[in-house]
Amino acid sequence: MKKFISTFMILALAFSITACSAGNTAENLPSSGQTAGESAPAPEQDAAQTTDSNEQDVASTEQGSQQNSAEPAQAGTDADSPDAASAQVTYPVTLTDQLGRQVVIEKEPETLVSGYYISTSLLLALNCQDRLTGIEAKAKTRALYRLSAPSIIDLPSVGSAKEFDLEGCAALNPDLVILPARLQDVIPTLEELGITVLAVNPENQELLEEAARLIGTATNTLPAADALFQSAGDCLAKLDDTLADTKKPSVYLAGNSSFLSTAGTNMYQSALIAQAGGINAASELTDNYWSEISYEQLLAWNPEYIIAASDASYTVDSILNDPNLSECEAVKNGRVYQLPNAIEAWDSPVPGSFVGSLWLASILHPDQYPDSQWKEAATAFYETFYRFTPDLENLYESD
Amino acid sequence: MDKNIRIKKYLISALLLIFAGTVFSLFTGKYPLTFALLRGGNPQAVKVFLTLRLPRTCMALLGGFGLGAAGYVYQMVFRNPLASPDIIGVSSGASAGAAFGILFLSAGAFSVALASFLGGLAAVLLTLALTRLAPGRGQGTIVLAGIAVHSLAQTLLMILKLTADPERELASIEYWIMGSLSGISLYRLPFTAVVCFLCLAGIFVLHRQILLLSVDEEESRMLGVPVGKMRLTVLLLATLLTAAIISLTGLISFIGLIAPHTARLITRDNCFPTLLLGGLSGSFLLITADILARSVSSGELPVSIFTSLLGVPFLLYLMLKRA
Repeated sequence: MKKFISTFMILALAFSITACSAGNTAENLPSSGQTAGESAPAPEQDAAQTTDSNEQDVASTEQGSQQNSAEPAQAGTDADSPDAASAQVTYPVTLTDQLGRQVVIEKEPETLVSGYYISTSLLLALNCQDRLTGIEAKAKTRALYRLSAPSIIDLPSVGSAKEFDLEGCAALNPDLVILPARLQDVIPTLEELGITVLAVNPENQELLEEAARLIGTATNTLPAADALFQSAGDCLAKLDDTLADTKKPSVYLAGNSSFLSTAGTNMYQSALIAQAGGINAASELTDNYWSEISYEQLLAWNPEYIIAASDASYTVDSILNDPNLSECEAVKNGRVYQLPNAIEAWDSPVPGSFVGSLWLASILHPDQYPDSQWKEAATAFYETFYRFTPDLENLYESD
Repeated sequence: MDKNIRIKKYLISALLLIFAGTVFSLFTGKYPLTFALLRGGNPQAVKVFLTLRLPRTCMALLGGFGLGAAGYVYQMVFRNPLASPDIIGVSSGASAGAAFGILFLSAGAFSVALASFLGGLAAVLLTLALTRLAPGRGQGTIVLAGIAVHSLAQTLLMILKLTADPERELASIEYWIMGSLSGISLYRLPFTAVVCFLCLAGIFVLHRQILLLSVDEEESRMLGVPVGKMRLTVLLLATLLTAAIISLTGLISFIGLIAPHTARLITRDNCFPTLLLGGLSGSFLLITADILARSVSSGELPVSIFTSLLGVPFLLYLMLKRA
């Protein structure tokens, strides 16, 4: 009898442990095995790193490295100029997408459907907005779309990652559908309907850059895809030099759902803090998704700054006024801020996310990195790639 | 006599276990608190202790006791060993209320707690109103009405979840449903504590009547118990108790189900000591689960994982030992 009981308890424990770890990894989509959120993005991506095996790709990567020395703004204009002809893609082209699938694209796609906001914002940066015929749900809520390409907001919706609209997507009969990896279950059905699907999994900076190159190759806009991260990399490298000898304050990044949820070392948001010259207060956490913590934990870390996520469902005031946190360094000194959200959420892996790091740097190190610098970089970036001049005086959505 | 001594022995050992758990709980947590630091009067340490650590420990004790006692009441009134707050829709009503609070009110802890409290209460009032409308009004009718309200609340919850933004709101709802004591602080405790004490006092005073409700309806009527009214009062007390607790902690599974059974396996009857022991085993279960929830990993884990993980093997042990 005792044997039975102990076996049962072991089983129960084993079950609970697997259940816990399954809960953590469920958020971690099957990726190419790269560790999530490696601190700094690699502006110089060498050819061997890319998984794509086609020739155009390698050629353009070389070109990308040459452009490295050029000024960021110039790199942007280069992308549109005809002398980038060496990066022209010749069709049909075979790509390995971020689910490891071989995708053959027969001709340059004229109509595109994007089922994910990150791929949609990549397509906008690659100047492909006119080719879009369908986008993901809730496009109205994306300020970036309104600012950069208002026409796409009214395009038919193909649903969200929760509920993908297979029929609606098929009805649009697009030349190419770009989907997030988490929608992999719908891919076979779409392919059966004769629709070409490219899956992307931009969970961190490297994967985002890879996704940009994949989409760039597929849509024949590789030079723009390369230039896109060139200027970001340059800005961050310059910031890194500026802050080389500065003391790094500890920063607690408060998550979207509650300020008692935060991002550990393995998360994208941790890289954002590191690039801005801060130390993630929650670096001891290694979960791949937002972790819940307690007031005590936050007080024990006692961060110098608290930064609320872009889409936080609470206000900065609610942190400042929480009596449980009155002894926290950041609250005592009023150093609680929210990441701007009027343009896009810079704490998600989008092309413009480096602006979030620059903004944070100006908060953490106002003497070394004044406000004007990040604003200049942000303006240049959005003017070049998204064709609008951002209003950097009103950083928060007013609703 | 022999039995009374045995039960006393169990009660005392339960109290000792809870005392040990309390001490352990007071000195476990993310903030480095030591006895020396507290005696030295370190202001920050004292503040953490008084506003966070102590209220959390109290909430675990009180919440566990309340859920255990409420579970006992439900099982007695419905004469059903499977009865739990779910049976008349409290927990699902509270979940739907919390989800509503997260989606449409501010995400502040207070509004969510209020919404879930009202949700739980509304569900139960609806159940009781439906029961009144039906002819017969036996306890079978309450169960049926409860099942209907429970399903209704679950559907509402599903709809709310569907409209929720997966990044922030859905995550909040899911975490709420898994239960956690991490948000408890001195400022949030008083309301729940007062409601709990009042309801528990009521249940203690009425324990004889509760016992009579558990025997045959005709018999209790002959013994002078106004069955309908008494059942309503007792159920309302247990429901208020449950709603007050889970509005603060989120759903905590299994305590209401397991704690009374544990007590019953020890006392082998349904008398007052069973109610006490049920409450105490609830307290012990919740405080142990909460200690684990805050110390096993570097973040906070949902407390319900541990209540069932600890409670189920113990219940099975008692069950097998008896066999």
